[in-house]
Order: sequence, then C-alpha cells, then structure tokens
Amino acid sequence: MADPAIVTQNLTKSYGHVRALQGVDLEVRRGELFGFLGPNGAGKTTTIRCLLDMIRPDGGTVRVLGLDPQVDPVAVHARTGYLPGELHFDENLSVEKALHYLNALRGHKADWGYIRLLSERLDLDFRMPIKHLSKGNKQKVGLVQALMHQPELLLLDEPTSGLDPLLQQETLRMVKQAATQGATVFFSSHILAEVQEIADRVGIIRKGRIVEVAETGALMRRALRRVRLRFRDEAPVDALASVPGVTVLSAGDGLSVLLQVEGEMDALIKVLARYTVVEFETERTSLEEVFLAYYEAQA
Amino acid sequence: MATIFRYSLRRFLGQILGWGIAFGLIALYLMVLYKPMITQQAELKTLFDAYGETMMAFFGGTTDFLSPAGYLDFTFFSYIPIVAGIFAVVLGSGLLVADEEKGTLDLIMAHPISRAALFWGRTLAFCAATLAILALTWLGFAAGVPAAGWDVSAASLLLPHLSLFVVLVLFGAFALLLSMVLPSRAVAASAAGGLMVVNYLVTSLARVNERLEGLNNLLPLKYYQGGRALEALDWQALLVLLGVAALLMVLAWWRFERRDIRVSGEGSWALPFTRRTARRRAQRA
Repeated sequence: MADPAIVTQNLTKSYGHVRALQGVDLEVRRGELFGFLGPNGAGKTTTIRCLLDMIRPDGGTVRVLGLDPQVDPVAVHARTGYLPGELHFDENLSVEKALHYLNALRGHKADWGYIRLLSERLDLDFRMPIKHLSKGNKQKVGLVQALMHQPELLLLDEPTSGLDPLLQQETLRMVKQAATQGATVFFSSHILAEVQEIADRVGIIRKGRIVEVAETGALMRRALRRVRLRFRDEAPVDALASVPGVTVLSAGDGLSVLLQVEGEMDALIKVLARYTVVEFETERTSLEEVFLAYYEAQA
Repeated sequence: MATIFRYSLRRFLGQILGWGIAFGLIALYLMVLYKPMITQQAELKTLFDAYGETMMAFFGGTTDFLSPAGYLDFTFFSYIPIVAGIFAVVLGSGLLVADEEKGTLDLIMAHPISRAALFWGRTLAFCAATLAILALTWLGFAAGVPAAGWDVSAASLLLPHLSLFVVLVLFGAFALLLSMVLPSRAVAASAAGGLMVVNYLVTSLARVNERLEGLNNLLPLKYYQGGRALEALDWQALLVLLGVAALLMVLAWWRFERRDIRVSGEGSWALPFTRRTARRRAQRA
C-alpha cells in the first residue's frame, strides 16, 4: 500500500513568543480531498508552508508523498501543485509569460495545450499584463499554474479567495476533477460551505492544534441543527427542554419555539408526536455550525 | 539554475542599460575632454594645488592627473565605486529579499528548484549585470581613446574595470549577506550603503592621516586600484577582494539554505528600537 500523501507528527513551529503550531498530527490519504478548516491565524498556512519546506518546523516530522521535504524539497515540489494564500506574481509579465516562466522552472513538464485548456475554462486572457489583472484573475493564473503539470498532490491555500461565485464553483469543479483523476487535494479554507461541498474529510485546526479530523458526512451528522416549531396550542417548552440533546433557544409568542438539537432527531420527534404541530422547519446542518460549536466549546 | 539566471538577467536589463549607457557616455565625454584639458595643464595644476591634499585625497590622491592612469583615476575611477556601489548595494540587498517582501518568492520556491539553484542563479545574474554595465563603460572609454590621443590598448583599458568589478561584486555580496540576517531589505541596503560610504571616507582620509592606516587595511577600497590598474594590475589584491566577495556569498547562501522564507511579514523580526517605535505608533493609533 502506498504511503499516505501527507503525514505530520507532533509538528511545532514558533515565531518568537507566538506558538503557531503546537503539535500538529495529520494524515491525509492518497487520492482524498481533505479540507483544512480554521480561522485566520489558526496555523493553516504555516502547516502548508512546512509541507513545502518554505519554513522549517522547530520539532516533529513531516512526510509528503513518502518524502521528507527538508531532505528532498525538489522532488516534493516536482510532484506538488501549490496555490499560495498570498498570491503574487512578477507584475511586469503577461499571463502567458508568467506561465511560461513557471513552466520553465518545472523543466517544461506541463503540456502547453493543457495550460490553454485550463485557461479557457477559467476565461483567462493570456495577453493581459499581470499588473492589470484583478485579484480574482490573478487567482485564476495561480490555479492554472498549480494544476498545469497534473500533480499528484495539490496544496491549495484558500483557493477560492477573491473569486466571484461562478468562478468559485468552476474552481471547485476543477479541484474535484483533479481529485477524480487521482490527485490528492489538501486545501485550507475558512469558507465552510466549499469545504462541505467537496471535501471527503475535514481537519479543524485551532490555535495551532488539530481539534478534530473526521469524515465530512460524519461531522455533519454530529452537527447542531436548528428546529423551528409552531404548535396549535401552547408550546410544551418544559417537555421539549427535557429531551436529551435539545436546548430551547427562544419561546416566541407562546405558540412558537426555536430549538437547537444535537445529534439524532428521534427523541424529539417522539415527544412531538404527543402534540399538534402546525409547522416544523429544520435548518440544514452546515459545517459552519460544527465549526462554531468547536470554537465556542473550546474558547 | 539556467532558467533563474536568464530570467533574472532579463529583469536587470533596464538597470544594465540605464547605468551602463550613462557611464559609457560619461566615459566618452571624459576622453573627449582630455585634450582640451592638457592644453591648460598649468592652470589646472594651480587649481588642484589650491584644493589642498585633503580634498585631492577624495579623488584618489592622484598628483599626475594628466597621465592616462592618473586622469582615469582622478576623473572617474576614484569616486565611481560609491556611485556604482549604489547599484550594487540596492541589487544585492534585494536579490532574494525583494521578492520575499513582495510575496513572489513563495510561488517560485514551490517549484522544483533547489534553494542553491535559486541563490546562485540570481547571484551569478547580479555578477553578469555588473559586468555588462562595466562593459558599456569600457566601450565609452575605448571609443574615446583616439580623441584623447593615448597610446593605450583597448585590452589594457579593461584592467581598471576589472578592479572596479571586483569591488562592486564585493559590495553587492555584502548587501546580500546583510539582507539574509537583517529584518528587511531597506535595513540591509541602508547598513551596507552606510558602511560603503564609511569605507570611502576612511580610505580617502588614510592618504593624509597615517593613524587611519590600520583600519584602512581592513577595508576593501584600500585594495581597489581604480585607474592606476592601467599601469599594472595588482593581481594579488584583486584575488583577495574576489576571495572575500566569494566568502560573503557563501555565507549568504549558507544562511539562505537555513532560514524560513517569509511571507507578508510572517516569521520576520524587528530590531528592538524599531519594535518600540512600531508599538508606540500602534498605541497612538
């Protein structure tokens, strides 16, 4: 069996007094789409830059595609596509020249026809000077250069940042397609909807520590959901509050009630069966709520 | 490394042409000016005598300013290390750190090139750019030889340029090393530029003040020949300067191999006094 695409063990990194990573343990399997969630400053970028040997960890081990990035960074980079969170190009080049240069750094390994294909999908004008591009268009160039050599591993730091909703969807489609073709995708984000949409598994990082790694579906099943109820008669607030996992958020006009439910709905529905329910509305669970729950619980 | 070298050299093209053409035109102008000057040598001697020894020390301490070597030294090569040194220090300090501060280094380093290839590709491009500027300068002097009426070959005119080249590479390498250990390119360029000016002052004043000789022996401009190299190049001094430049480069490379690549201020540090100033500004805001 092939090595995992990414393994970090007890990874630590400090900047002066700031402890950016405090023992990060991660394992990303080959071919999976792994979402790396956390707010700004949680340690997402630091982790990715350790994987690429741009910064040297103070402790712990890193393996990328079975290689130690500190020992053989060139081999790791050859098999990896990277989209930085802070993306900057040489502003004096045109899009075409920038991509030519980056392809030259890869020893012209990328097929120029494939580069054109990717660019067309993103509606990227080759002749435009980089300095005249909007942030979103620069992000497109970044995405093309990350995908152009069809890497085994994609490290994407906030890949949809600065893109309009249509392009966000196209970007996510391209990332999913790369995964379908066998690439492992490790992408960081603080936009939970996109992680929920495409990730097989999710890792949540908080203050330099991994607080959860789980299948996206399982995480969502454990998520909190909101239930809005309207009764024909007075809402049985006490009865509802006594259901395990249920919290009454508001009791409204006496007939309505807003609940927060953790875990399965079965116990609640069995209690509700004793009353006449006029309206029953649940808000779709989202990773956002899971994410917030982690942060609220551990703050 | 070849890709990095070619691309970096292409980026330096504007500076090569700007500095090179300017120096070349000055060189040609100085050569054309030689004959009119020689007709007034008595007046010039009176004038330069009036300047005094200290003033003349800043122009290489030359007394035979009408010989080809003396003229080249007095009119150009004595002070040009400071002028061209600005180019060397600015380019050297920004060779890697400018891209790091702009955030472009992150993307480049994610490609399959080693830190060594990136470092040496750019450092060699800096040396080649310096060489190209001096080649254009040499062209200006060489083109002006008939107008000056000198019995000097174009090849021998290369010697002062060689002396200048080595000292500029040394200043650039010093700025590069400082950029690897100081918090920003601006600080590194200022420190390297400041020390370069101090070197010029000490070496100039050591010509009239013996007490500075000890300190001067440790400074690179002491071993810089300038126009005097036209008569006989001191290969030993040249090799010493070259050796020191190479040592500075190797130290900078050693540091680059071991340091974090910063992005948007991440992992950067500040000098204690700049940190205090920043904190005070933040408090006021």
